[in-house]
Parts: sequence; structure tokens; C-alpha cells
Amino acid sequence: MTNLTRRSFIKLSGGVAAVSLTSAFGVPAIAGEAKQKVVVVGGGYGGAVVAKYLRMADPKIQVTLVEKNADYYSCPLSNWVVAGFRDMALQKWSYDGLKKHGVEVIIDEVTAIDPAAKSVATAGGKKLAYDALVVSPGVDFKEFPGYDAEAQKKILHAWKAGPETVALAKQIAAMKDGDTYILVAPADPYRCPPGPYERASLVAHYLKKNKPKSKVLILDAKPKFSKQGLFQEGWTQLYGFGSDNSIIKWVSGAEGGKVVRVDAKEMAVYTDNNGFEEKHVGACINFIPPNVAGKIATAAGLTNESGWCPVHLNTFESKIHKGIYVVGDASASGGMPKSGYAANSQAKVVAAAIAARLNGKEAGEPSYVNTCYSMLSPDYGISVAAVWKYDAATPDKVKEISSGVSPSKAPDFIRKQEALYNESWYQSIMADTFS
Amino acid sequence: MQQRKSRMLTVVGGVLAGALLLGTSVAQADATGSMLANTCAGCHGTNGISGGPAMPTIAGMPAKYLKSVMADFASGKRPSTIMGRLAKGYSEAETALIAEEFAKQKWQNAKSAPQSKMATPVNAKLAKEGEKATKNAKCDKCHEDNGVFQDDDTPRVAGQWLDYLRFKVQDLKNPELKVPQAEKMKTGIDKLSAEQLEAVAHFYASQK
Repeated sequence: MTNLTRRSFIKLSGGVAAVSLTSAFGVPAIAGEAKQKVVVVGGGYGGAVVAKYLRMADPKIQVTLVEKNADYYSCPLSNWVVAGFRDMALQKWSYDGLKKHGVEVIIDEVTAIDPAAKSVATAGGKKLAYDALVVSPGVDFKEFPGYDAEAQKKILHAWKAGPETVALAKQIAAMKDGDTYILVAPADPYRCPPGPYERASLVAHYLKKNKPKSKVLILDAKPKFSKQGLFQEGWTQLYGFGSDNSIIKWVSGAEGGKVVRVDAKEMAVYTDNNGFEEKHVGACINFIPPNVAGKIATAAGLTNESGWCPVHLNTFESKIHKGIYVVGDASASGGMPKSGYAANSQAKVVAAAIAARLNGKEAGEPSYVNTCYSMLSPDYGISVAAVWKYDAATPDKVKEISSGVSPSKAPDFIRKQEALYNESWYQSIMADTFS
Repeated sequence: MQQRKSRMLTVVGGVLAGALLLGTSVAQADATGSMLANTCAGCHGTNGISGGPAMPTIAGMPAKYLKSVMADFASGKRPSTIMGRLAKGYSEAETALIAEEFAKQKWQNAKSAPQSKMATPVNAKLAKEGEKATKNAKCDKCHEDNGVFQDDDTPRVAGQWLDYLRFKVQDLKNPELKVPQAEKMKTGIDKLSAEQLEAVAHFYASQK
């Protein structure tokens, strides 16, 4: 088996060497000479998949993944932890699986990117040269009135899975019966569009069982939200939504849900209700600030005035810096949601585009998918799915070929099946990412 | 053989005619089989080897079988939660490429899922009962070799993920869903109770 692999490897590299003679990039890939290098910044649903699939596509390419944290914690399913029915250990993934694919993993933080010199610098003092760079930093948060470093100790966002996820779960568990949990949902676009509403649902599930007099108040900057019809149908069924006794109350931006400042000392948020400031006090406030592209993307000048990174939607190569690919939440992805599955799908397009480029070939036609599950209780799952293509006629928007959400008024067994599909989705996509 | 070849020629002719009709949009290279199949791998696993208990492994299944399943998902003939919405997103030619890509891969038995609290563990006692039930209902007439066998109409079921198999047998008994099935399959299913079918799922999942 080893022999066979080795033989086919030699054959393959011979073929590539021949191709690269005619390559527009003029980088010879003759065996024994310097390998083509790809650096990937950020090892989540986007970056880790680019690294793995690049190595699968062309083992001659040297791939280095630079990631700030030694372990990865998945955001998908972390709302289950917040609501107290999942162990945080199940959210944790190591980079050892990527190493088995021959990916070099460096735990360090990239602090600067030099697109002209084609190199990145790290906080640890490393300088890494690249032939192609992948930037997959996820999201960061905009500054917000009252939400300073001190306030962030008391009022958590937990919108990046990790210690905050566990801390928020503890805050909710410490609530007294009758206390209010306030969830502040951000304006579009942001990471995981249905995420705030899944979190509200699962906290309501926890409160219903453990603190039946407590309420969930969602203060929303938006007039509507992802999977809204299905969420509200489920809330009606599970949490009395629409009645006087509803556990969940949702206030839209137009109805005074838009939060304008945070006051951690008062444990309050202030909303703008048609020109009047309104104060909302909660025993636990979960404030999700407006999102922007991850810090390094902004620092490297990969973002535009929107705060996100414009990319060519057929390859996810930056429109600002050639040779740099931005994948996942940080990209302006032309209508795809900022979701884990979309990042996974984009990452495979990026891996194929880079492998083609480094072998002197044109990038192929991309194909994109999103599948995303949300939970309304541990036995109640719903989903959204879509397939997109790139259409040169509309270069700023991917073309939706099909899409849809779970049916309304589905029988309980379907909701239960989708709950288990959700967990299976997670295990499969994490295996696709890290092993 | 001769016959088959001529049929293939007809198909090629049809595709060419279609290409001419569609004009320039076809000149743009369509996505490759691996590009298309990789979009499935988030759920069905890298190369179609699933990592989650309710998602079936599809690596190494016959292309014709996978194509017909996708067509039935897209038309709604085969009930699904999410697959119908996804299957509609691919043309017949793209579905064929996806099916061929997964057919090329090598099957791997489902691993146990130590991570999952929700996953159902294989129960050895149930598996034994299931084995008897497969004999009674003559499942092995098509699912030969204790479910290892596969052909264009028959998927491999041995070593498949248990929760996936459980969902499928539950669906088969669900009159609301009207799962399409071959007449001989129906005869077998009718002979078995829901409990026996659950045992059958445990039996096939326990096979290597």
C-alpha cells in the first residue's frame, strides 16, 4: 500500500512539474525543490477545512495553519451548553487530526499580513512566507455604548464558544425563580442568524423546568429573523408564546427592541422606543454586540466600509488583495448566511481554487450548500437548507438553486428526528473538519 | 453489451443536443464530481463516510442506487426532512456526478459514537432477535450476506449507522409517510412488527 502511494505520488508530481512549466505563476514545482506554501489564519469551520482539503487535493502543497487557541470550541451546539443540557467537553476539538493530514499547526496569533511581501507576522515573533494565504478569522464585535471591558465581565455575549459559554450557563443557573433573562439580538449581518432564537428557546426550556416564573425577553434590532415562522410556531406549542403567560417575549426593532446602550452597574439595557429611551432590567443580560469581520481581516485591510471582506464569489479570493482568500463569517458571501456549514462549503471551494492555481490551472466551477439546524427544546429540531451556484451575470450574489425550511405543523416525530439529525450533523461536520 | 452501448450513445447525443440548446451557459465548465460531492460531506462525512449516528454512510454505494434515491428525494416520492430540499438543488447531470463520486469511495463500517449521548447503542440481544426476524421475513433474499450485499436496487445495510437504520424502519411502518418500496420489500415489512423491525436495525448495524 505504501509502495503504491509512493509510486503514484512520483507520477503525480512529475505531471505537475510538467504543467507548472507553462504556469502563469512561474513557480517550478520540481520534486526536491521548494514546496508551494499555503498559510491558513484561523482554525475553525472555515480554516481547518481549507487546510485539510488542500492536503487531500494536493499533498505536495505545504500547509501551515496558525491558530490562536490550542483547542477549538464549536459554536454550533454551544447553546445546548448554555441551557444546561450538554457538557462543554463535547464542544472541544483538537488539531491533532489535521496534523495527520500533514498540516503544520502553529498555536500563535497572526498580528500582521504583508500582501506585497506575501508573508504574515505572528505575536510569537514568527514570519511565515506564503504563495497563497487563507484568512478565516470569524467575527469580532463593534464597540457599543456602555459595553466596555468592565461591563463585559458581567454582561456576556458568549457568541464565541469557550469559557464565556460556560460562564453564561452558570449565570442562568444562578437566576432566581421569577428573574428575567434578557437576550439582545444584533442587527444583520451577524454570525449564525437563527442562533439568538435557538438560545432563547433553549433557555426558555430550562426555565420552564427549573424556574417556571422566570421569563425570556428578546430585544431585537431587527424587524424579523431567520426561521421566524417556525420558531414562533414552536414557541406557541412549547412555551405559550402569544399568551399572557408566555415564557418568551420578542420585541422587534420597530416596537422598541433596538438597544442603544448597556449599563452593567444597573444590570440594564436601554432601548429606543420611537424616540423614547426605555430601560429594561434583567438578572441575566446576554448582549450580542453588532458583528464585524475578525480583527486580523480589518487590520490587514481586507474589509471595506461594511466591515466585511469583499471576495470574488467563484473562488473567495479577496477583491482587495490578490492571492488572499477570505472564508467563512468574515467574508461578504453574497447571500449565504454566516453559518458553520456555509464556511465548510466555501472552504472546499477555496481549497480547490488554491490547488488549481498552484498547479497552474484555472479554478473550477464552485458549488455551495448550507444546512443548519436549530433546537427549540432537546426534542424539537428544525432546519434550513440551500444550494447555490456562482453566476457570472450576478457576481455580487450567489444564485440560489433551491432552498427551504422544515415544514410548518410537522408531527412531533419529525421534530424529534431533526433534533437527532442536528447532533449527527454536528458530529459529521466536526469529523469532516478535524479528523 | 451491444445494446447497452447504443443506449449510451443515445444519452450522449441527448446531452449534446441539450448543450446546444442552452448555448453559452454550458460553455462555462460545470462543477466537477468532487466539488459537488464535497458539498454533501459536511453531513455525510469526508468521502461519504458519515461521522454522525443518524446520517448514513454512502461511500461505495452503487451510483445507480444513489441517483435513484436523489431523484425520489427531489420529487418527494421518498419522504425526507432535509434531503428533498437539497436534492432539488442539483440537475440530473450533477446528481449523476455526485453519485459516481461517492460510488468510487470505499465503504467503512460505522464507528461507535462515544461522543453522543443521543445515539442509540447497538444491543446484542436485540441484534440476535433481529437476525431471526430477517430470516422469517426473508430480508436476506435481497439484503444477502447479512446485509453486506448491494446492487442498483439494494443498499448495503450491514455496518450502517444504527440511528439511521432505526429512522428508516420507523419510516417504513409509518402510514403517514408512504415510503416507496419494492413489492417484495413490502411483503417482508408487513410480516414484521415495529419492535421486530427495531431489532432488525440492531442486527444490521451490528454486522461488519
